Amino acid sequence: MGLLVLEDLGRSFGPVRALHGVSLTVAPGTVHCVLGENGAGKSTLCNLVYGGFAPTTGTMTLRGRRYRPGSPAQALAHGVAMVHQHFSLVPTMTVEQNLLLGGRGLRLRKADLGRRLERIAGEFGLTVPRDALVGDLPIGARQRVEIVKALLPGPDLVLLDEPTAVLDGPEIEALIATCRAVAASGRSVVLVTHKLGEVAAAADEATVLRSGTVAGGGPLAGDASVPRLLALMLGRDPDDLDPAVTAGLGVRVDVATGDATDVDAATGDATVGDAAAERAGGSAGREPVLRVEGITLGRAGRTRILADVSLTLAPGEIVGIAGVEGNGQSDLVHVLSGATRADAGTVHLGGVDITRATPARRTALGLGVVPEDRHHEAMVGAMSVAENLYLARLGDFRRFGLLDRRRLDTAAADVIASFDIRTSSPRTPMGSLSGGNQQKVVLAREVAIPGLKVLIAAQPTRGLDVGAVDHVLARLRAVAAGGVAVLVVSSELPELLALCDRIHVAYSGRLLGPVPAGGERAADEIGALMTGAGRSAAAPANEETGAVA
Amino acid sequence: MRSMRSTRRALVAGGAVLVALLAGLALAALAGAGPATTIGALAEGMAGTPYAIGKSLNTAAVLMLVGAGFSLAHRAGLVNVGGEGQLCAGGIAATAVGTTLPAATPALVGVPLTLLAAFTAGGLWAAIAAVLLVRRGTSEIITTLLLNFVGLALVTLMVHEPTLLRQPVTSSETLPQSAPLVDGAHLPLLGVERSPATVAILLALIATAVIGVVSRHTPAGLRLRALGQSPAAAARLGVRAGPTRVVALSTAGAFAGLGGGLLVSTAPALLAEGFTSGFGFAGLVVGLLAGGSMLALTAAALLLAFLTSGGINLQLVAGVPSTTVAIIQSLIILLIAATATWAAGKKATR
Repeated sequence: MGLLVLEDLGRSFGPVRALHGVSLTVAPGTVHCVLGENGAGKSTLCNLVYGGFAPTTGTMTLRGRRYRPGSPAQALAHGVAMVHQHFSLVPTMTVEQNLLLGGRGLRLRKADLGRRLERIAGEFGLTVPRDALVGDLPIGARQRVEIVKALLPGPDLVLLDEPTAVLDGPEIEALIATCRAVAASGRSVVLVTHKLGEVAAAADEATVLRSGTVAGGGPLAGDASVPRLLALMLGRDPDDLDPAVTAGLGVRVDVATGDATDVDAATGDATVGDAAAERAGGSAGREPVLRVEGITLGRAGRTRILADVSLTLAPGEIVGIAGVEGNGQSDLVHVLSGATRADAGTVHLGGVDITRATPARRTALGLGVVPEDRHHEAMVGAMSVAENLYLARLGDFRRFGLLDRRRLDTAAADVIASFDIRTSSPRTPMGSLSGGNQQKVVLAREVAIPGLKVLIAAQPTRGLDVGAVDHVLARLRAVAAGGVAVLVVSSELPELLALCDRIHVAYSGRLLGPVPAGGERAADEIGALMTGAGRSAAAPANEETGAVA
Repeated sequence: MRSMRSTRRALVAGGAVLVALLAGLALAALAGAGPATTIGALAEGMAGTPYAIGKSLNTAAVLMLVGAGFSLAHRAGLVNVGGEGQLCAGGIAATAVGTTLPAATPALVGVPLTLLAAFTAGGLWAAIAAVLLVRRGTSEIITTLLLNFVGLALVTLMVHEPTLLRQPVTSSETLPQSAPLVDGAHLPLLGVERSPATVAILLALIATAVIGVVSRHTPAGLRLRALGQSPAAAARLGVRAGPTRVVALSTAGAFAGLGGGLLVSTAPALLAEGFTSGFGFAGLVVGLLAGGSMLALTAAALLLAFLTSGGINLQLVAGVPSTTVAIIQSLIILLIAATATWAAGKKATR
């Protein structure tokens, strides 16, 4: 009998069926993997089990009894804990204080906490630095704190939502070990993810969600079942997709030798292939269009956010910045886009010093930016798609001083058609589009900047479904083929390996490398750099590190 | 979609007014006045005489200006709670100009000069808060609020100090107020018989319409909205946050200042302590209730203005404290605020 049994579970939001007819059984003492693309209904399922909202149809049974949590607090009381993708820790408090936040009553039970932490350390091999400030901890350690927080009340079932999204290779291995230890203690773990390859080693069983319902599943025995489950998840043969896309799902493919021409034929963009080949050969001697020299951010004495970062980009070149998040790559993008001002160093764009230029001036000089935080930096959710597309160029749509909405809509409709943006009209609020379509709008706008010389794309595929990832990567290739220098910042190393000419690695505010992406051992070298090892130390790196990170 | 939402909004607002009025009737009944007496007195005071109507329209004009300014700044993501202080700054400037103009100044010159001074002074007053916000990151909510007290104190200083704006002291009974403005600075009446209504309401309607069109149908208005909705994205797309904020908040202050100018250039056409009658805050409420719609803004300003003059009559005729009207106003605001999510047509998330 299962610990948690879901029968015909469904949830609708108005006319939208987010989830329907989901039945699955989580056996005690196992790790169960729930697979699905973005938008397949994974978050809805988590919310149902964790009491975020009630199902509209179906039943849940926990330990043989009817289970209907009205809130996360009730779910916890029933022994169901959850670790969210975005951590819910207070960064200015210590680990101990954060863990005490979950306690009841007025007293802080420090001694009790200590005993329970020791038990968790003994049972699962999970230790956390009690007196460290959460804000000072690396991401992997923060996640351990979250997991410890989830284990503290002694739950029977632990839900982990996209746990590998922010981890590097060794951290993922540690996570897998933790999951096995928790399962070995008789508890159950549910891993909710779209990166099958990364967690296949941890899971006993898998259920695949597609378009809100169960597409299949079964026990995970050996590597053979992985491609089958992946095909189920995507609803098509993985071989049809850009290798960069499948690589991003954590499936090991030989990305280092990925043939660019094949890739582009698959995405229906045949001309790009030749240009890419030409690009790889001819970019070396060209005058760089973006020259970043000695960028430093942060006060001396304390840890620098960016330390002496230098970088050059030639026209038509795609350069990647890999690295575990929080190593300064986001800040570098902010410096380049003009959102923050560097404390030292210079940035030249096409020979013009833009170190202190406003974002508007940078745009005028031909700098496009696809920001990392789409919702806050790249778009205005309450405004229409057309307004979002042309906000920077509203002056072109003036008639008698007023805005000519009809002309604005016509222009937007053309872009919407050519970028295949799914929206009911140009006047639809941007916020109501799916993440993939929002990203297409942002990309369309930045690509259309007159006289575009450099395009910076930060985490351009984050949170997108496979189809949208495919589209975005093809666009970036096409832009580079048109002679624009492209800088891609991503934590998806396999994607970078398939896309870029060379790859830098961000490590605690410095930029290491570059490593040529075509090299046989590129993944290994980059994997080693990501953990802070020098290039000389790259050789003995774990072979799996690069492919799974 | 849009029309459905605005219908819903109007229904919610109407319901809130009805509930608040019923509560007001109940309060009046406690004070010993039957519903018929109360409604009669209120209606009489609101619209019973041309005098009452004219008075209400003059008040509504000031509320509209303060509220429209608030809406404009709010679009840019700024909360201007400094209406009171900006009214004061406008009133002081208008008085200074209006009392120093030669006595023979024609109204065609005197009135525009007086109002221009008020407009400018209100804008500069708000610019203090705007510059502090942009340069130092000080919250404009705090600074505009505190500048209210400075503005009110400045009026007191002005009307008590003979070397400033106090009228010539001839006896111990000379009131601490300014000399009357010269005739050429008096706001022309609309010309309705026995009505004190001035052209103020026309000015306010024009100003509101202009703000409505600018904020909805011009590139500048869209940039303002983008800045308010998402400062980071707006900056990325070339909106210069600092200057835009300064202009938005200063414009809001300028419109409130204009309201102050209207107040002192209306009979008895002088500056005295308490001349703002709390219209700075009432205007803020009007702006809040309107939620960015200039039509709703006009309606809210008229409602509040008519209720205020109705309340005075309520006390005179029915012996019900005029604060009952203040309670009704507050109830309307609370009800509308509490039902905001219904009006938007979605469920509250928490």
